Amino acid sequence: MKPLSIIGVVAIALSIGVILSTFSDSSTYADFNTAFAHPGNEFHVIGTLNRGKEQVYDPMSNANEFIFFMNDTAGVERKVILSEPKPQDFERSEKIVLIGKAKGESFHASKVLMKCPSKYNDGSQEI
Amino acid sequence: MEEIKYIGEHLWAGNVGNLFVIIAFSFALLSTIAFFFGSRENEQATAWKKIGRTAFWVHASAVIFIILTLFYMLLNQMFEYHYVWQHSNAVMPVRYIFSCFWEGQEGSFLLWMFWHMVLGLVLMYTSKNWQAPVMTVLSSVQIFLAMMLLGIFIDDYKIGSSPFNILLREHLDFANIPLFQNPNYLDMLDGRGLNPLLQNYWMTIHPPTLFLGFATTLPPFCFAIAGLWKKRFNEWTKPAIPWAYFGVGILGLGILMGGAWAYEALSFGGFWAWDPVENASLVPWITFVAAAHVMMIHKNKGSSLVMAFFLTIITFIFILYSTFLTRSGILGDTSVHAFTDLGMSGQLLIFLLGYLLLGIVLLITRAREIPKAKEEEALWSREFWMLIGAIVLFCSAIYISALTSYPVINKILGTSLAIKGDVIEEYHKIQIPIAIIVALLMGFTVFLKYKKTDFSTFIKKLNISLIISLIFTASTGYLLSLTNIFYLLLLFTSSFAVFANIDYFFRILKGKIPKAGMSIAHIGFGLMLLGALISMSKQEVISSNTSGIDVTQLGEQYENHKNILMLKDDTLKMGDYSVSYKGKEREGINVYYEVEYMKKDEAGKIKTEFSLFPRLQLNPKMGNVAEPDTRHFLHKDIYTHVTYAEIEERETEKQNEYSEPKTFTLAVGDSMFSSNSIIVLESFNRAVNIEEFGLNDSDIAVGAQLSLIDKTGETYDAQPIFVLKNKAQAYTIIDEVEELGLRFSFEKINPEENTIDISVAEKNSNKREFIVMKAIIFPGINILWCGCILMVLGTVIAVWNRIKR
Repeated sequence: MKPLSIIGVVAIALSIGVILSTFSDSSTYADFNTAFAHPGNEFHVIGTLNRGKEQVYDPMSNANEFIFFMNDTAGVERKVILSEPKPQDFERSEKIVLIGKAKGESFHASKVLMKCPSKYNDGSQEI
Repeated sequence: MEEIKYIGEHLWAGNVGNLFVIIAFSFALLSTIAFFFGSRENEQATAWKKIGRTAFWVHASAVIFIILTLFYMLLNQMFEYHYVWQHSNAVMPVRYIFSCFWEGQEGSFLLWMFWHMVLGLVLMYTSKNWQAPVMTVLSSVQIFLAMMLLGIFIDDYKIGSSPFNILLREHLDFANIPLFQNPNYLDMLDGRGLNPLLQNYWMTIHPPTLFLGFATTLPPFCFAIAGLWKKRFNEWTKPAIPWAYFGVGILGLGILMGGAWAYEALSFGGFWAWDPVENASLVPWITFVAAAHVMMIHKNKGSSLVMAFFLTIITFIFILYSTFLTRSGILGDTSVHAFTDLGMSGQLLIFLLGYLLLGIVLLITRAREIPKAKEEEALWSREFWMLIGAIVLFCSAIYISALTSYPVINKILGTSLAIKGDVIEEYHKIQIPIAIIVALLMGFTVFLKYKKTDFSTFIKKLNISLIISLIFTASTGYLLSLTNIFYLLLLFTSSFAVFANIDYFFRILKGKIPKAGMSIAHIGFGLMLLGALISMSKQEVISSNTSGIDVTQLGEQYENHKNILMLKDDTLKMGDYSVSYKGKEREGINVYYEVEYMKKDEAGKIKTEFSLFPRLQLNPKMGNVAEPDTRHFLHKDIYTHVTYAEIEERETEKQNEYSEPKTFTLAVGDSMFSSNSIIVLESFNRAVNIEEFGLNDSDIAVGAQLSLIDKTGETYDAQPIFVLKNKAQAYTIIDEVEELGLRFSFEKINPEENTIDISVAEKNSNKREFIVMKAIIFPGINILWCGCILMVLGTVIAVWNRIKR
């Protein structure tokens, strides 16, 4: 075999190895129960903002902490401590993805992604 | 139900548009068939080719008329059409009409189809004896794209989505609203308008450039497929090379424009976030670069054909894959700017798998016949190291693609995996070592000749650039205090790539510009890596910590503190600057926040250096958006972004009420702060005039004499009193300072500590306006932009030089 072909095969094998090792060390989408069963491990949790409960953002004391309550897709509610300022238009979000870890009684999120409503399919969206 | 006769609708426009879509589709089909038979080189071939050309011209005209019709509808504000309503409105300036056009999926398909059509016309008249097979492939791609716009139903399955046949009143989302009971509804209707985030010049220039880049991967693909199909294995690279390099330049420019847009106008906090949508266009660029280089090897040495075929085909496949990722809705949760699902994922998948299958099958069935080089590549030859580079680039593309494909893998395997930890770190872990290798290869490979080079003369030629880049790395690494070994290695190899190519340009090419396309492009790419390295590794969040203490030692939760509260008119130290928030101003939908940056001059006086105006766009329909503002210097940029601000005006009637008091424990001489003053406990007054407060001799009263100094230096006095009535009942007599909106009460005496407790309440009107902001310094980012310009310039020179010959 030509040296180049060997290098090629080795390189491809190496990248497949690296990719597989990345995949095997993935974080997972999970619900709160799973996340709280494995405190300290990173999870992505999808859910909706609990609008009935208090949201605390007091930039005077800590501009990088926002506390709210989220219900995951299974309906389980948890207190969430986000270590970022309160996102713009947070109340409008219809779906939230949290990235973070369970710690004690609350979920410590380092990042939050929001999906804002763009579509209703009941045929009566406002214009 | 009685049918309503609607007034003022322009249903003819949609019919015209639809007609042209059908013409474009059917003539792409006819053109494909005709060129297919025309490629058989028998007696009828000439006639077939003529039909093919005519059909393609009809297709081309139809595409132009589709576009004109859609523009006409947008310009005349025909909001009865969902597409027009969704993407434009009556108050929008005409200059954004292009942006409205390609904001939606249908419009961007049109844009893509338009570029394919333009390139198709050029190919038709420049490809000579390649015309029939190449145009067969190109026209077949146009069939698929036109199909995406058909918007017709076969049974219940909808094929494509047309901007011309979805009326707003028939759209599923809106069909039931009362407005459409009114025959004259159009008089009351305005469009939803273009997302304000997209109302800027980037949205006008970025999509057409990027789609032209996407489109230029098609001609090389056509040549490769045609070469395999017609067994003209050795001929196809020559005509494909100029297309490939043109495409590398344009696609690179398009991607970097996206980066520049993200950096300037969006709040990503950088120019590259490894977002799935960004990656989806980066991956085909990387394989395109590899393909173009391997084509050069084939042209110069006649070897490496299989790899040239493979990389050229896979590049176009990656373009289709990127289309699938961004338009099927599969990225939903993971990307901020993927299109929403139009229910076309099935079609997109067929489009992708169809061409993947075509490529693989052709390559495998022809593999035995493809001529292979007889001799091995010599170790010290240009082609050997270029091939290594191509392999490394391909690995990089595969890795990025794999990480971007998490949602696809989840869909296929039914798993729910996601990238762990910091996404950017995860990509950098692999891409930085790859960049180190690529830069090193770019540096020394130019000094190697095809076939064979004498090793000792080769090393001698490299001496100068090696020494210069070592000195550069040592001094720059020291200046920037870089300690990470990978950063230092990348600093060395990328500067080596730059210096070696500069050296090559002057010494070997004698500074002749027409021949220097390659060198200039390589210098540009080296500078881009250098700029990316410096700005990313040394970017400094100056808003994170103004105390001067390293808070990361305090624990994990302190790392994220990148945002800071700024009260109006307060000044905080950030990096070398003193920063002050001066207030906000509203202009239309924009609220601008004035942030002043100051510095001490030589005399020690604080002087204003510049002001930045990050803004919030208020948009009740699409959500509020924050846009950063950046001050550009030659060697660094200062980025400022408002992450949080109170948008609602405060309720005025509550302004005169007092808020929750705060309690302070003080000894005589101690001081405390309110939002607007310093308060000092001067002394105790045991000789309170008790009669004034209706007390008698048996009561004890002590006054706390407070002196207040406000910001202007004005002084005030206050004296809250502590009373012990009849030696049993304790209460306080409060005192107010009206001017400062402060109210004091003397809560208790702590005899052991010799202190007292004073509580202070402030009027709501004392609360000052504030913002929460983030400020980042990006050093050396201009090196990146310079590199980008040089890279594009270099490829343009190279392509121009090749065409001229």
